[in-house]
Amino acid sequence: MSTEDADADGPRRFRLMKGLELTSRQLFYVFVGVLALFLVPEIQGFQSSLRVRTVYLGLCWGIAAVGVNLLLRHAELVSFGHAAFFGGGVYGAALAARYGGIEEAVLLVAAGVLVATTLGVLIGWLVAGYLDIYFALITLAFNQLLFAVVMGSPELLGSDDGLSVRPTSELSRPTVFGLELGPAQYEVLTYYVLIAVVVVTLVVTWRLVNSPFGRALDAIGQDRTRARFIGIPVKRYVWGTFVISAVYGGLAGGLYGLTALRARPEGTLFALRSGELLFMAILGGFQTLLGPIVGGVALTYMLTELRFATEYWEFATGFALLLIVFLLPNGVIGSLPAIVDGLRARARNPAKVSGDVRFLGGLLGSKLRDAAETTKILLFGVK
Amino acid sequence: MLEAVLFASPGLFVEQTLNGLFFGFILFMIATGLTIIFGVLGVLNLAHGEFYALGAFLVFSIAGGLVGAVGQPTGTASAVLFAGAIALALLVSAAVLLPVSAIIEAVLVRPIYERDDVYQLLLTYALLLMLADGLAFVWGASPRRLQGVFGTVNRLPTTELVGFSYPSYNVLAILVGLGVFGFLIWFFERTKTGRIVRATAINREAATAMGVSTDRVFTLVFAMGGFFAGFAGAIHGAGPISASVGMGVNPLVLSFVVIVVGGLGSIKGAFVGAILIGVASRWAILVYPAAELAAPFIIMIAVLLLRPKGLYGAWGEIE
Amino acid sequence: MLEARNLIKEFGELRATDDVSLRFGVEEGEMVFIVGPNGAGKTTLINLLTGLLEPDEGSVVMHEGTGDGTVERDITDMRPDKRVKEGLVRSFQIVHLFEEMTVRENVRTASLSNHGRISEMRSLDDEHETVERDVDELLEQFRLKDVADEVAETLPHGDRKLLDVAISFALDPDYLLLDEPTSGVGSEEKEYVIETVVEASKEQNVSTVTIEHDMDIVRDYADRMVALVEGRVFREGSPTLLDTDAELRRTLLGVTEDE
Repeated sequence: MSTEDADADGPRRFRLMKGLELTSRQLFYVFVGVLALFLVPEIQGFQSSLRVRTVYLGLCWGIAAVGVNLLLRHAELVSFGHAAFFGGGVYGAALAARYGGIEEAVLLVAAGVLVATTLGVLIGWLVAGYLDIYFALITLAFNQLLFAVVMGSPELLGSDDGLSVRPTSELSRPTVFGLELGPAQYEVLTYYVLIAVVVVTLVVTWRLVNSPFGRALDAIGQDRTRARFIGIPVKRYVWGTFVISAVYGGLAGGLYGLTALRARPEGTLFALRSGELLFMAILGGFQTLLGPIVGGVALTYMLTELRFATEYWEFATGFALLLIVFLLPNGVIGSLPAIVDGLRARARNPAKVSGDVRFLGGLLGSKLRDAAETTKILLFGVK
Repeated sequence: MLEAVLFASPGLFVEQTLNGLFFGFILFMIATGLTIIFGVLGVLNLAHGEFYALGAFLVFSIAGGLVGAVGQPTGTASAVLFAGAIALALLVSAAVLLPVSAIIEAVLVRPIYERDDVYQLLLTYALLLMLADGLAFVWGASPRRLQGVFGTVNRLPTTELVGFSYPSYNVLAILVGLGVFGFLIWFFERTKTGRIVRATAINREAATAMGVSTDRVFTLVFAMGGFFAGFAGAIHGAGPISASVGMGVNPLVLSFVVIVVGGLGSIKGAFVGAILIGVASRWAILVYPAAELAAPFIIMIAVLLLRPKGLYGAWGEIE
Repeated sequence: MLEARNLIKEFGELRATDDVSLRFGVEEGEMVFIVGPNGAGKTTLINLLTGLLEPDEGSVVMHEGTGDGTVERDITDMRPDKRVKEGLVRSFQIVHLFEEMTVRENVRTASLSNHGRISEMRSLDDEHETVERDVDELLEQFRLKDVADEVAETLPHGDRKLLDVAISFALDPDYLLLDEPTSGVGSEEKEYVIETVVEASKEQNVSTVTIEHDMDIVRDYADRMVALVEGRVFREGSPTLLDTDAELRRTLLGVTEDE
């Protein structure tokens, strides 16, 4: 890491690597963010709603969401079938444990990646030529087909009950780098490893997205015809990106398997999970790099922890998503600059807050008026 | 292998085929709503399955009340009254969906038409979650079984007249389904409103230029979609199944299959697709039980690979 | 030389291209203009030559080399992106740009593709000196330097047309097929766009085939002119035919002898 003053009048920038320059403030945020993640196991003791397990699972889903976002943000393709690769990753690990007798965590994850990548190669080749809604639907179809196959294979794949990822020997959990660990140690070590994986994943993604290939993807997304006519073999590149995103999914699934220790179809393979991956990317801010990760943790948190706060956690999650759609049009991370600016402005000038209240009140009022208007039309006829 | 079943156990084969038809018609009513909403508004309504579920829960309450008040039929007069009560319950249950979906469209969906399609998906997903819990809030988390309708209607002899035994309720439901199909074809081909809707689907700008209020059309179509989904739920819920939270997910996913097979935006396609999927999945059970889940998606993939526009591919046109 | 051989293309009942045989780039740097009324099949011809459409009959052939060493290659089944690699580049009547990228990024993407670097994942897109040099030259040549960092979406129409052509030249074409490059552009800018195209083509020995409606431009710049009517080659030859051939004038311009 070298420090260079990129421009004399601008803020001091630190060069982490070629092309990736951060201001000292941004570097500070990154540092704080990673530190915060590392501290979660410590905080867990004091704050019961912040559980390592939830953050862990959220980060796993987040990694898969980053993969989905490669297609969504750049190639502008909505995949409704990426749970196939996440699930493929979890089942790959389970199969390796059950039928391969593998006990080492690293190898289990590798097995997951292998399965997911194979699926990605096969499915990707078939879907790469499709556009828009058809792409979404055909990826959905393959996803559900895979789900159906798993559900229909009780002996081989465990059907409803799923498959265990636990070693077939007397060990109650996989070894990590060859070490046999107790439950607490296992949780913490796998968590730390995951954080490292997340950081590496983000760096790799950043490189990919800013590479010539990344540009080609943007081109494909922004004007597919033009991309073709500047010599880009569109279908092949879409296929390649699909496979790469499947690798992310498999990695995420494998790591998920290390903690969940069981591969179940409903929770990892069902089509709605694919939807959730998309929604994680969107709610976190799909035009950003960090958005999908943040969205992954956020949505996972809502879907797991809110359960303890209220019986109607699904409603709460839905409502939160609704608010994000209307109030944070660029997702959480995407809207961050605007939010920060807004907060700062309000801190300086508290009178603005009353303006906010009026705005929200007005919004609510206009919504109620719309509702009343519609009911009136229904009752008394449409023109 | 199917022929083997046919010869070995023709009764089972016929029964499963009829089950397939029954399920297919229910699926048709749900999918047709999804396809017209997509065809006209361009929105893929993920909450659509919850409209179906709402219909089922509503009929539980409404029919439960009405049938309880009217009492089981003892003679012809009370039978007519009973039938009237059921019909009323079904219609009212579906009718509730009209204001519900209309308000949802006007208040929540309309503001995001301008935005990226992905936000529509996120929004309808949020609605799915909220509606699902809404159902649990009102009716509780355990399944609700409507008593006193299915069994009673089945006392009516229908299939018995031709020599075998199959729930008459299902037979009547199939006939109702045909009626719905007929109504929809008539509506979109013969009525002024129907043609206005089609025009809006084909070319929004041209329609606006002719003085059509696209806002009103969109609300109407969304409400219609909700209505038929709710109607399907009511018929299904007053019949062989119970109303349970989470019942909407599977029909939603299968509806996707149906509209792909039939062609996005096509009602005739939804009809043919739904019957095809309904019957195929029931036949699949006969051959290999686990295949029931896979069969629709194999068909979906085949259609997308070979004939992506579907059987009646009508992009944005309602036919 | 690029050759269309007995191309036929039908859309249902309509024969958009009716047994068209033409040769382009007979000499390197040749400027051919295609004229004709609307619906004559001009764009369809370009679509067939560049691979956007497949002909029902006939073939597209590239002749490489000169004199005795000439090799014929049938590229009728070649994908569009491969044809670009072979030097066959086109622009579109309705400008296709990468709307959310800046002008520089638009040209850079094309240049990366041209240098065979577009598939690289391990480098950064803006770190290749040869590419950046080419990009700068092109921006200079097409006078887009001032708007280099503007997003394509925000550009005025004339600049969009120029960018479209700049992208085409970034691909180092041997044959450049332009579909109405001056349409929608004000008369002052028209000259400018065409001049720039001519300059760049002469410099790099690019043979151009341009669909054009403005007859003045055709008269001033064409080495050869082809008139298409109802999918067939109606006339072919010197642009002076526009003034001398009465039947041609009548068909194209609706002008009779008396006027």
